[in-house]
Amino acid sequence: MAHVTALHLKYKYPGSDTLALHDISFSVERGECIGIIGENGSGKSSLCQALAGLIPGFYKGAYGGKVLLDGQEAAHMDADTLCRKVGLVFQNPFNQVTGAKLTAYEEVAFGLENIGVPREEMHARVREAMELLHIYEYREHYPFDLSGGQMQRMAIAGVFAMRPEIIVLDEPVSQLDPQGRKEVFEAIRTLSGHGITIFLAEHNMEQIAAFCDRVALLHEGRLICMDTPARLFSRDDLETYGVEAPVFTKLARVLQVRGQDGLFPVTLEETKRLFMEKRQTGAGVLEWLE
Amino acid sequence: MARIEIEDLYFSYRPEEEILKGVRLTLDQRPTAIIGQNGAGKTTFVKLLKGLLRPTGGRILLDGQDIAGLSAAKLASRIGMVFQNPNDQIFKNTVMAEVSFGPRQIGMPEDKMRICCQKALEAARLTGLEEKNPYDMGLSARKMVAIASILAMDTDTVIFDEPTIAQDHVGKERIRQIIRGLAGEGKSVIAILHDMDFVADVFERVIVFMEGRILMDGSVREVFADRDMLERAYLEQPNVTRLCHELGYRGVYLKVEELLHET
Amino acid sequence: MKSISLYEDKGTFLNRTAPESKLLYILTAVSVPALTGIEWAGIAFIALSALLLLTGRVLKKTLPVLGVSGFIMLTVVVIQGMFRRENMTPVFSLGPCVFYREGLYFAFQIILHILNILLSFCVLMLTTKPSDLIESLVRRGFSPRFGYVFVSVFQIIPQMTETMGIIMDAQRSRGMETEGNLLTRAKAFLPLISPVVMSSLVNTRERAMALEVRGFNSRCKKSFLNPRVKTAADRYIQAMELALIASALGWRILLWLM
Repeated sequence: MAHVTALHLKYKYPGSDTLALHDISFSVERGECIGIIGENGSGKSSLCQALAGLIPGFYKGAYGGKVLLDGQEAAHMDADTLCRKVGLVFQNPFNQVTGAKLTAYEEVAFGLENIGVPREEMHARVREAMELLHIYEYREHYPFDLSGGQMQRMAIAGVFAMRPEIIVLDEPVSQLDPQGRKEVFEAIRTLSGHGITIFLAEHNMEQIAAFCDRVALLHEGRLICMDTPARLFSRDDLETYGVEAPVFTKLARVLQVRGQDGLFPVTLEETKRLFMEKRQTGAGVLEWLE
Repeated sequence: MARIEIEDLYFSYRPEEEILKGVRLTLDQRPTAIIGQNGAGKTTFVKLLKGLLRPTGGRILLDGQDIAGLSAAKLASRIGMVFQNPNDQIFKNTVMAEVSFGPRQIGMPEDKMRICCQKALEAARLTGLEEKNPYDMGLSARKMVAIASILAMDTDTVIFDEPTIAQDHVGKERIRQIIRGLAGEGKSVIAILHDMDFVADVFERVIVFMEGRILMDGSVREVFADRDMLERAYLEQPNVTRLCHELGYRGVYLKVEELLHET
Repeated sequence: MKSISLYEDKGTFLNRTAPESKLLYILTAVSVPALTGIEWAGIAFIALSALLLLTGRVLKKTLPVLGVSGFIMLTVVVIQGMFRRENMTPVFSLGPCVFYREGLYFAFQIILHILNILLSFCVLMLTTKPSDLIESLVRRGFSPRFGYVFVSVFQIIPQMTETMGIIMDAQRSRGMETEGNLLTRAKAFLPLISPVVMSSLVNTRERAMALEVRGFNSRCKKSFLNPRVKTAADRYIQAMELALIASALGWRILLWLM
C-alpha cells in the first residue's frame, strides 16, 4: 500500500474564488523524497498544509477529495494521531519558535510534553534529535539567539523528536544564508536516511534535482506532472509553468549532451560524468575548452 | 552618478562586540553585490550607508560630503533602499499611493513625480494595477510594489537587501531586468545576496564580508575564481563555475551563456 | 538574552524555592494582616519581604517598581491627608495646604497594604522563571493555553519590537522624519501601524500552525520535561505558611465569637 495518497484533492481558501488545489491525485511510497516545485501562488504551500492535515482543519474553506496517510484519511484524524504521523516545517524559522521555552533543549521537547511522552523517553528523544541535527552543543542557548540555520534545525529537531513517518518541509531554506542552507539540506538528507517520507517545496532546482526521488510540478493549483527529476527537467515546456531547469540541464540541453536514457543530466556529478564520457569518445562539441 | 567613499568604518551596539571592524572602500558605478555569511556585517553596513545607524568610528562621504550631516529626507533623495520583506514597508491602500509616498516625502515636484512613478510602475510591470490594494496581491507582486516605490524616488544609488529571497523564477527574472535597467541608466546598484548564480549573472563587482571585515573585493570573475578564499567565507562558486572547475577547464566561466559563447 | 521578564537566575535560595511556596507566601503575607487586623503584622511582612529580596540579591530591582507605585502612594497621602471626611486634627501645613492626622493615618494604612502586596509579589516575580511558574500552575490544572499565552508574551514582545524597528527603518529610508518633536513622531507612527499589524497577523498564524503540528491541541495528558522542583525546605516553608494562615483564620474566628 502506498504511504501517502492524494485522491482528487481540491481546496479553496475561505473568501477566495479560485481553487488553490485543483483535483490533485498521486501516491508516494514509504521513504521516498518528493520535491514540490512551481511558481509562487501555484499551490505549493497549500499542498504542504493539506499533507500535514492543516487543510481543511486549520483553515476551513471548501475541501474535496482526500489525503490518505497509511490508508487513513488525514482529515478524520485527531490532532494527537496526526502530529505523530506527519510533521511540518515552515519557511520562517523564527515563527516556529514557541516562545514558551528558555533553552533550545526545552524547545525541542515542547511537542513531546504536549503528547505526554514519559520524561525518561523524552530526554532520550530530544538528545537523539539534537545530536542527529548537530545542534546538541547549542542545547543551553536561548532559542531566539540561534542563527537562522541553527533555529531551523531546532525546528526540524522538534518535529523529528515526535517520530513522524512523514515530514513536509515548505521552503525550509529560503530565509537562510548559504551556510544555513547547507546545514539544513544535510539535515534533510539525514531524515531521508532514516526512512522518513519527505516532501520538500523549494525554488532552487539544483537542490531539488540533487535531493529528490521524484518531483511534483504544480501550476495554478493543478498537478502538471510528477516524475523523476531527469524526466521532469528534460521537458521542453517548463518555462510555460514558470519554472526553469537546473543550470546543468540547461547547459546540457544546448549542447545536446544526453544520457543513455535520452534524458539530460540534472546534477553536477551526472553532468560531469556525461561531459567526461563525451570528451573521451571525441564527440567534438566539448573540445573547445581544452 | 554618486560617489560613496567609506573611510575606516566601525560599528558596534555594545563596545565589547564589534560588528564592523574597519571597512574601507569606494563604491563606484559598477553594480555591486555584497555577499557573506549572516552576521558578517552586510546588513549593518548598508544600514550605515542609509544613515539608519550612526558609525561608532570612521565616516561615509557621499560626493565628498559626510552623510552624518544630512537629514533623513535629504539622504532619502540620494540613496534608496528596498527592504527584504515587502510587508515591512507597504502601508497604503493602493499601489499608486504606496509608490508616490516616497517621492512626496522627499519633496519631488508634482510633474516630475508623475513621470517617475509611471516609469517605476512600468519597470516593475505594475502598469494598470495602480488602483489595486497591495494587500490583495501575492508575495511576488508585493515585492514589485516595494521595489517600484523606491525606484519612483529616482535616487542615484539603489540598495537591495536580499531581493531574490522567496522569489520564483519569474520574480527573479524581473528583478534581474530592473537591476540591469538601473545600471543602464548610470545609477549605482548595491545588493546583498545569497544566490551566487544570480550574482554571477547580474553584477560586475563583488565584495565579500567576513566577521565585520572585507575579505575580498574585486570583479565578479576575480572573486568567483578564488575557490579557497570563498570557502573561508563559507561560500560556494556559482554552479557553472563549479562544473567547469570539476571538468578541469582552465578559464573561469560564470554563466551558461558565457560558456556557449566560447564555442 | 532578549526577554522582558524581570527574572534573572542568581542561583540564590529563592531561585531554588518552588514557585508554589512563593505563591503561598503572597497569600500568607496578604491574608494574615487582613485577617488579624494587626498593623504590626503588615509591617513585619514588609520587613520579611525586604529581607528575602535582599538575600535573593534582587532588592535593587524592586526600586523601579517602587518608584512607579511611589507616585500613587504620594497621591494617596496628599488626598487623604488633606481631604478625608473624618479629618479633624491638623498636624502640619505646607503653605495653604493643611494635613490632618486622621487622613494621614488612613493613608499610612493604605501604603502599608500596597507595599506589602508589591514586595511579596516581587519575591515571586523577580526570583522565578515565568515558565516554571506557569508550569507549576499547569500541573495543578491551570489551562495550558492560557499558560502559553502568558509565558510567550515575555519572549515574543521583544521580537515584535525588533520587527517594529525594521518597519520604522523602512519608512525612514523613504524620507520620513521619525525623530524630533511629538507631532513629528506622532505623524511618523501612523504608517507603522498597518505593517506591524499585518506582520504580526502573519507571524501569529504561522506560529499557531507550528504549535498545532507539535501537538499543542492534543487531548493527551501532558507530561513535563523538568521534574517538579520541590526541596525538603519547600515542605517546611509551605507547612509554615499554611499554619500561619490557619492560625490567623483561627484568631479571626475567635475574635468574632467573643
